Amino acid sequence: MTAARTLHAQLHLLDRQVVRADDARMVSKADDLELDYDRDGRLYVSALLTGPLALGPRIGGVIGRLMVAVTTLLRPEEDPAPRRIPMRLVTDIGSALKVGGDPAEAALERWTRVHLIAPLPGSGAPAHDDEPPPDRQHRGAMRVSELLGRTVTDAEGRVVGQVADVRLSQDGHLLGPAANALRVSGLVVVPRNTGQLFGYERGPGGAGPWLVRVVVRRLHRGSRHVTWDQVESFAPSPEIRLRVPASELADLRELYSTLPST
Amino acid sequence: MKKLLGVTLGILTAIGGFVDIGDLVANSLVGARFGMSLAWVVIVGVVGICLFAEMSGRIAAVSGRPVFDLVRERLGPRTGLTNLLASFAINLLTLAAEIGGAALALELATGIDYLVWVPGVALVAWLVIWRVRFSTMERVFGLAGLALIVFAVALWQLGPDWGELGRQLTSPPESEGAPTYWYYAIALLGAAMTPYEVFFFSSGGVEERWTRRDLGEARANVFIGFPLGGFLSLAIAACGATLFLPHGIEVGSLGQMALPAAVGLGQVGLVAVIFGVFAATFGATLETALSSGYTISQYFGWQWGKFVRPRDASRFHATLLVTLIIATALILTTIDPIKVTEYSLIFSAVALPLTYLPVLMIANDPDYMGVHVNGRFSNLLGTLYMILLLVVSVAAIPLMIATKAGQ
Repeated sequence: MTAARTLHAQLHLLDRQVVRADDARMVSKADDLELDYDRDGRLYVSALLTGPLALGPRIGGVIGRLMVAVTTLLRPEEDPAPRRIPMRLVTDIGSALKVGGDPAEAALERWTRVHLIAPLPGSGAPAHDDEPPPDRQHRGAMRVSELLGRTVTDAEGRVVGQVADVRLSQDGHLLGPAANALRVSGLVVVPRNTGQLFGYERGPGGAGPWLVRVVVRRLHRGSRHVTWDQVESFAPSPEIRLRVPASELADLRELYSTLPST
Repeated sequence: MKKLLGVTLGILTAIGGFVDIGDLVANSLVGARFGMSLAWVVIVGVVGICLFAEMSGRIAAVSGRPVFDLVRERLGPRTGLTNLLASFAINLLTLAAEIGGAALALELATGIDYLVWVPGVALVAWLVIWRVRFSTMERVFGLAGLALIVFAVALWQLGPDWGELGRQLTSPPESEGAPTYWYYAIALLGAAMTPYEVFFFSSGGVEERWTRRDLGEARANVFIGFPLGGFLSLAIAACGATLFLPHGIEVGSLGQMALPAAVGLGQVGLVAVIFGVFAATFGATLETALSSGYTISQYFGWQWGKFVRPRDASRFHATLLVTLIIATALILTTIDPIKVTEYSLIFSAVALPLTYLPVLMIANDPDYMGVHVNGRFSNLLGTLYMILLLVVSVAAIPLMIATKAGQ
């Protein structure tokens, strides 16, 4: 058996376009990922979360809060949750995330169609529109965005840095006929708040252009890789505590010089 | 043979589609005030737009992902949103200016005040977007825009002192200070590299279902069509330099911008230039309106495009409709379309790096591109342009304040 596929939540999944597998129709962006515990007590990616209730908290600030507040106000449920697309429906992870089946339509799309677009001549809309089935409310243990940006402290209580990305490895239980679950296998920790890594941490050569790579890597020098075993606790305290001292953490670059890049 | 015809048609469309109200205004103004001394900026801008349009077209053909999709994916939701708000605002200003430009062309043709034409232009633009197929739409208005070649013919007929034009290439007029010179350099760069051009170009690639096999055609459009469009821009500037610069006349209205064609070619020239200006600005009205729908839909991941029925992309079409209404309202406030254009060019220049950086990154990402990642040459040029665009972006607003917007 080949080594399990390794993906990065931020780099490969978050903010990618989600399309329907059979006709490439656009469904949404992957606004957030829902995490749940499997039978071994390990976190795995259970669903893609989409819509303003997933995007708002990631944007944060006034605009993000406003987005959540307005959506909550307009949704009929008492305590609405973001639209979720179970990971077992995801058939391909590439430049877009392909999902099988027929994912539920966004409420805003339906509203604009029924009230604005369909009444215009030539819109191609039929006279009536079926009510969508009510969303089944399900909530996972947490969202991946709750891990990103969190402060990481080592066994001695010193700050190591903050989480820039979450490493996932496709070695969990079978989710569907085709795919294993993506389990959380580690964290990429950067020493300073210097934004995203943009994928320039991958591989010894990494992607070009040379100057951009040098600048991005320079900003993130001293980045470390934390395996999930090294994490002591991450909830409910605001910081992620490690069970080892910072000096035992692997340099991010070591990881990529030993592993073939994916 | 059919293939060749398709490529030729594509190139002609690219030439006609390249010039919009921004290029028209910036080049006329600059030609009249600075002669040909800023011609090098047009060349720098054309090379830049070729470079990034080729990258974004290649990404669209290989991965099917248009530019604003990538902006959000690479920059994340927060920086992506900043870019979205900036791009949308610039796009709205540009759309308002294009509608105004098309209405002004109708005023030149009929003598009826442009404000009367504005709602009609907007309504017809919406009907075209709603009903006409994407490829038909692009072809018709791109080809009609070719009428602007009249500027090149008119220049030849005006019989300028070519030696004098050549001398101007390296020596800006002494009456203008360095800050205004650089301010207009930035405006010209903004006109050539307006972000909506790559939003539209890459989304258009998806609309027309480009695949790897279409890479050759896409490249031909970019590498032949855009430079010839840039040549038209230079002809417009040279007309201004010949007719207005010696008399110290400053260009401030569309009528003045069309004048060289009338002086050089008489009535035929006048008809052709009015037709060309209308086609170019109306075509750009469609492009900017669609771009506003593309950017918002792609940021949020909504279904977009004219390749599905409107009912299947209702948020996209709703965005288009609302944007067109706002832009029309804006131009109906009697705000001067030429002034709106000037400001939108400068703000475009400020926003350039946020759009072009993710394109450059993704064009290097093997996950998206496979074997079609950037070569060394593209990367070298791409890096140089990123540095240039960052400098321009930082300098634009201070220069605008220092020169009181180029006065």
